[in-house]
Amino acid sequence: MKQANKKTANLFSQKKIHYLIFLVIIIVTGFCVDNPYYLQVLTFIGINSLLALSLNMLMGYAGQVSLGHAAFYGIGAYATAILTVRYNICPWVALVFAILIAVGVAFLIGVPTLKLTGFYLGMGTLGFGMIVNIIFREWTSVTGGASGFVGIPPLELGPVSFDSMRNYFFLVWAVMLLSIIMCQRLIDSRIGRALRSIHDSAHAADAVGINTKNLKLQVFILSAAMAALAGFLYAHLISFISPGSFGFMVSVRIVTMVVIGGMASIWGSLLGASLLTLLPEWLHAFSDFEMVVYGLILMLVMILMPQGLTRGFIDIYERSKRKRKK
Amino acid sequence: MIFMNDQKENAKNNCPLLQIDSVYKAFGGVQASCDISFDVDSNIVLGLIGPNGAGKTTLFNLITGVYAADKGRILFDQMDICGKKINELVELGITRTFQNVELFNSMTVLENVMLGQHVITKCSFLGAVFRIPWIIKEEKKARNDAMELLSFVGLDKFAEKKSSDLPFGWQRLLEIARALASMPKLLLLDEPAAGLNAVETAQLGELIGKILNLGVSIILVEHDMSLTMNISDKIVVLNHGKMLAQGTPREIQSNEAVMTAYLGRE
Repeated sequence: MKQANKKTANLFSQKKIHYLIFLVIIIVTGFCVDNPYYLQVLTFIGINSLLALSLNMLMGYAGQVSLGHAAFYGIGAYATAILTVRYNICPWVALVFAILIAVGVAFLIGVPTLKLTGFYLGMGTLGFGMIVNIIFREWTSVTGGASGFVGIPPLELGPVSFDSMRNYFFLVWAVMLLSIIMCQRLIDSRIGRALRSIHDSAHAADAVGINTKNLKLQVFILSAAMAALAGFLYAHLISFISPGSFGFMVSVRIVTMVVIGGMASIWGSLLGASLLTLLPEWLHAFSDFEMVVYGLILMLVMILMPQGLTRGFIDIYERSKRKRKK
Repeated sequence: MIFMNDQKENAKNNCPLLQIDSVYKAFGGVQASCDISFDVDSNIVLGLIGPNGAGKTTLFNLITGVYAADKGRILFDQMDICGKKINELVELGITRTFQNVELFNSMTVLENVMLGQHVITKCSFLGAVFRIPWIIKEEKKARNDAMELLSFVGLDKFAEKKSSDLPFGWQRLLEIARALASMPKLLLLDEPAAGLNAVETAQLGELIGKILNLGVSIILVEHDMSLTMNISDKIVVLNHGKMLAQGTPREIQSNEAVMTAYLGRE
């Protein structure tokens, strides 16, 4: 029994080392990269990772598919845009409202749709995502319609302005690091076990006394809040938003990031988001064939590493270790 | 010791742990449970037997909250539990296992048992994120208790293995350990010997005796007659949704009506 305790303690400290390494990488990258374009790409990776992580909590761990996740991303972005531009509210206060709105919507949508499972849940969330996108597009008086919403102010925190790309990079990745720690702690807890149990067998989860209905709703709300936070960061980064950035294809892209990176893997979200953000940038060289190559790469990853990149790399590492032993 | 239910309390009140009071349940025109009444006293093993289609599973599902009875009452500790969901029943002290073993296969053996403690532990979303000191303590205690339960069923050596890697017989034991982790007063076993060989069945019988010593009452649905007759204190026989007989194993074995139902004697 003492051994078991030691194991937990080791596990926790091991994770602290991971966070520390991650923090060092962020700081080094932030100060070494000078090219604003690269910094911007890296910042986008951070925002996409946050999105992928939010969906991974819902889909990877709790096993609830959402094909409308871009809606919450959009709600976060539009809420802060409207509040800061129209009503001149301080962005940080707008952030609170943005998250509260996303939480409220997630609650209203979650109660009926989370009763569905599998494909049906996918369909339900897909419909929700489309409705929200139509609202962004058609409610011109509030959202600016198809032409979008311009002039979202940059962020400021006391004397620090996040106008410069480098500062924004640090902001986004600090948020990402905190989110990773939060999610990892959640997953390692009683709540995290219960979440994973729903994924494994909803039947058995009920039988051990887990209120699966409530728990699914809670993780859906958490996931929506994180996506709204990503939307907030996105809106203040590029200062212009339009409905196209929050459409069905974006929802699919978030799902792809999670699946490619690795379901039920926190660091996998980071890998998947990085690959899917970087690939289009690298593939510009193929010009007309860009999408074909992009699709091929994703297919190859899925064929060679059906469990996603994280699991795939771990398998390769373990195989090579075994070979060396022989 | 893992845990120990206070048997004196129930004995003092002099009331049975579970009372099934003229329960009636029909699916369309099929009467799956028709006017069934019996009591389960505390600290006994009650065997529920009957030919296929007798309504054993329906009754099992009525007690565990899968179905709600059309008529009649089910009292647990003198509280009506009709219409309560399974997760609420676990909190009250009723827990079950499944005929075809439902484990959490992506998790370790230890984690499976720790999930059984879900209703005992208290850590919430915020508690987990901020990792308040008492939560770490709770987690450690949960881990130790789970290990003790694993040694109780003899699986402590495999705590870190994936539950799906265990042979079937051990998965059964693990499922029982998980059910015990919520410290139940009543444990319902749905055909626990199905798919086990003779040795494993004998071990299962011993384990059930050990569970009884913890002050847990057991309802057993089982086709293995020798096991049921050996370990049950009381047997209820169902046939065509109706109660055919109840009594001690000896009484049941010499009951004419039961013989007719099982052997088809005229």
